[in-house]
Amino acid sequence: MENRFSVLNTPDPGEFRQKFKVVLFLLLVIFSVLLIRLWFLQIIKTEELQQRSESNAVRYRKIQAMRGLILDRNGVLLAGSLPSFNVVYMPGVVKDHEQILNRLKSLYEKQSLPVEFDSSLPKSVRPYMPIKLEENIGMEKVAVVETNSLSLTGVYIDVSPVRRYPKGEMMAPIIGYTGEVCREDLKKEKGGYTLGDISGRHGVERVFDEYIRGKNGAELIEVNVYEREIKNLGRIDPVPGNNVVMSVDAGLQKVAWEALKGKAGAVVALDPRDGAILAMVSAPSFDPHLFNVTFSPEQWRGLLNNPRAPMINRAISGQYPPGSVYKLIVAAAALEEGVISPDSKILCTGAYRLGSRTYRCWRRHGHGKVDLHRAIVESCDVYFYNTGRMLGVDTIAKYARLFGLGSPTGINLPNEMSGIVPSQEWKLSRMEQPWLPGETISISIGQGYNLATPLQLANAYAALANGGTFWKPYLVRRVETIKGRILFEHKAEKIGTLSLSNNTIELLKNALWGAVNDKRGTGRAARIAHVDVSGKTGTSQVVGLPQDLQARKEIKFTEFQKDHALFVCFAPRNNPEIVIAVVVEHGGQGGSVAAPIARRILNAYFAKKDKEQATMAKKASDSRESY
Amino acid sequence: MTFNSDRSFLSSFDWTLLALVLSLCAIGLLNIYSAGYGTSQTQTPFYLKQLQWIALGLIAMSVTFFIDYRIIARGAYIFYGIAIVLLFLVFISGYTMHGSQRWLSIGGFAFQPSEFVKLAIILALARYFDNHKSNKPYKLRELVVPSLIILLPFILILRQPDLGTALTLLLIAASIVFFIGVNWKSLAIAVTGILVMIPIGWHFLKDYQKERLIIFFNPERDPLGAGYHIIQSKIAVGSGGFFGKGFLSGTQTQLKFLPEQRTDFIFSVFAEEWGFIGAFILIILFMSLILWGLKIALHARDLLGIIIAFGITALISWQVFINLGMVLGMLPVVGIPLPFLSYGGSAMISLMACLGLLMNINMRKYVYHR
Repeated sequence: MENRFSVLNTPDPGEFRQKFKVVLFLLLVIFSVLLIRLWFLQIIKTEELQQRSESNAVRYRKIQAMRGLILDRNGVLLAGSLPSFNVVYMPGVVKDHEQILNRLKSLYEKQSLPVEFDSSLPKSVRPYMPIKLEENIGMEKVAVVETNSLSLTGVYIDVSPVRRYPKGEMMAPIIGYTGEVCREDLKKEKGGYTLGDISGRHGVERVFDEYIRGKNGAELIEVNVYEREIKNLGRIDPVPGNNVVMSVDAGLQKVAWEALKGKAGAVVALDPRDGAILAMVSAPSFDPHLFNVTFSPEQWRGLLNNPRAPMINRAISGQYPPGSVYKLIVAAAALEEGVISPDSKILCTGAYRLGSRTYRCWRRHGHGKVDLHRAIVESCDVYFYNTGRMLGVDTIAKYARLFGLGSPTGINLPNEMSGIVPSQEWKLSRMEQPWLPGETISISIGQGYNLATPLQLANAYAALANGGTFWKPYLVRRVETIKGRILFEHKAEKIGTLSLSNNTIELLKNALWGAVNDKRGTGRAARIAHVDVSGKTGTSQVVGLPQDLQARKEIKFTEFQKDHALFVCFAPRNNPEIVIAVVVEHGGQGGSVAAPIARRILNAYFAKKDKEQATMAKKASDSRESY
Repeated sequence: MTFNSDRSFLSSFDWTLLALVLSLCAIGLLNIYSAGYGTSQTQTPFYLKQLQWIALGLIAMSVTFFIDYRIIARGAYIFYGIAIVLLFLVFISGYTMHGSQRWLSIGGFAFQPSEFVKLAIILALARYFDNHKSNKPYKLRELVVPSLIILLPFILILRQPDLGTALTLLLIAASIVFFIGVNWKSLAIAVTGILVMIPIGWHFLKDYQKERLIIFFNPERDPLGAGYHIIQSKIAVGSGGFFGKGFLSGTQTQLKFLPEQRTDFIFSVFAEEWGFIGAFILIILFMSLILWGLKIALHARDLLGIIIAFGITALISWQVFINLGMVLGMLPVVGIPLPFLSYGGSAMISLMACLGLLMNINMRKYVYHR
């Protein structure tokens, strides 16, 4: 025991002192490095790192502005916004995504709520890009997520406005729909869109988006690492969008929509006095709410490739051979060019021969001797074969253009088509083939290469009805702020004149009246009580028919080979206020299919007008009595 | 031998060291309080638990302080043996947290033997070199036993896997051996040997350890994975600026962007909330502690005291350097706690025991046997 403490084993102090100096030196170096590093981070880089610590914790959350309302001419709501609740997932720092999502799933299942999200996330989720799991959920699900928020890290409820269209399908082709802003819109220089914004697509929603969409607000919030909101740091309120008042009458639109029910086609009703669209229907249509939720590419393709083309607004994008509706134009040309006089008669035997080909009249046994009036009233084909031949295709084309065909009307809607006005030059440049005389025969009854949109036909008849003025058709009367201040008001815009002699105009109007009101008129189905309707039917062939009469009878047409039924009319006879163009695709006879549709719309229009006048008169007399 | 009657003995009690350690512990408590601020209190808050650990540590300190270190050193090999057994027990029945098996459960307490192994190795090496004194630098042959003393726990800890602690062991031992003096030739051979071992050792690293080393060199490469720790820590420290964001006001800490904020990244909490000034003072405190330890080693009365005091100083120094280097983004994230500040019972108790030994050696520098 003793010797363990007896040895004083102090080592050589000199040697250790030397080593201590080395150690001391090393310590000083290391501490200096640490302090320099600290200086570098906390003094030199502090600004950058402070910003990063802020961006770590501060989130800029966009507050979507409420879109403005879309109203009809009487203030009926066509589009509005409601709050929608979405389940959003922020991948953030959560490690096991599947575990969280499966927990949500089992919470749903406990409440027997349907699970409408995919719990297997893509491999490459961006940590601070929220993923929408479910959109537009019910209050039960909101409750489930909110009450279990502590165990559902990264899952939260997000409220954003969703568009509602009370009139649904019947308005969709003209109003359009809304959806998340697309890449092209983001690229627009003055678009002012940011990623994730809702923008209008198609129709009025798109054209007037600038007015409707309002200004998004923003919110600065501090979040913790689990994206849970800790503090609100400030808020800029969104500015709601402006309200759009349309020229359309929702009641009339509904009548037209129901009249077309089960058919494919379009109806345009407009006011010939200023070009206001009163109704514009395209069937079949689509549910504009479909686009409120994220659409899969398959759904998209399904809609776009649907053979019945529900996404097309047929009133402006559908191009149809106008058929006998076109005879008005050929008649105008013939009168103006003097190739016929109103009284000159042409014999219709039921057929017209050119070379080896026979062109038939719709009436197999012919109309006998017909003049211009009768030819229009009874829609005699042979009469117009003759006049057409006399005029030649280029003269007909000149008058077709005069009636506004071949170029868009300029209505403020996307995707308006111009139709086709064929001429010799057109065929040469388009098909590199010369014009054949037989083709003029087809053209003169509105067949062949002729194509026009329902809106063009309506506008052509409107110009005749109002005595020669082309108004630019319009859908939106005005835009006003929610407080009623007017930001935009439509002014009637004259886009052309139908330069025909008054005599010609009168003759044609009389003939159109006759086509509806004469005993043998083809458009008798459009007659209504108390108001004189003038109009013209049309039946346009979709497929060529065999020359042989017997063979014609035996043909069985498929759905897409049947004739298109057309009818264009205006009323009343004097000072017309409404022009209606009806096209029923593959509907059959214009007189029996399209004209009754026009009649229903006319009835509705004038019944409403009578009612309004009656109340006005009552009001007037009331005020007189009280006077 | 009666030491309690000696007046120079009492008057030479190391108040400076105690004051340094207690201020470090106090800073640690403040930080642990801040790191746990605002979280739901379903269990005892960590700062209170740490207070318990400090109290237990002070008891351990008084034990290692009162018993003459030469008597303690007699049991060095026994302590070493117990430590190795405990490490084996960890292997057999230890439990796993964060992917590595480091803890033993004793009476409901999680206990980390590797923390005590550090002290056991220092004592064992001191005992060995004290028994094999030499006036000339040690040759390779004479270093075989010390190498075995180090390698056995080193491998056991590396397999847990706890790369940080294993490396610290190696660094402590290397410091001691360097200090004792090694033949230059032998040193050259040893260094070559280690260099050869590195690529082989790489093989034995777990994937996450490899990843950490790779990410260290380019932390922005994987901002949400392994690089996340380093980036968030740098942001926390740097955004503190000169004056700091204020106690309980560090956003990185309070919003939990900073990982492991109670343990390995406790310094970042402090640097964010107290700024450069606070961090500077803290580093000066550590420097003072280390220099004080060196002074004790320099003035120790015998080789045993010198080696123990130097070894303990080396232990504290390396942990401070590695931890600070790590949270400041200069070294890979290897998981070394900051002495006296990081939350953890085993580390606190073993460090306090080390400090007790330092005081022990300091106080007995003038005491000679009768």
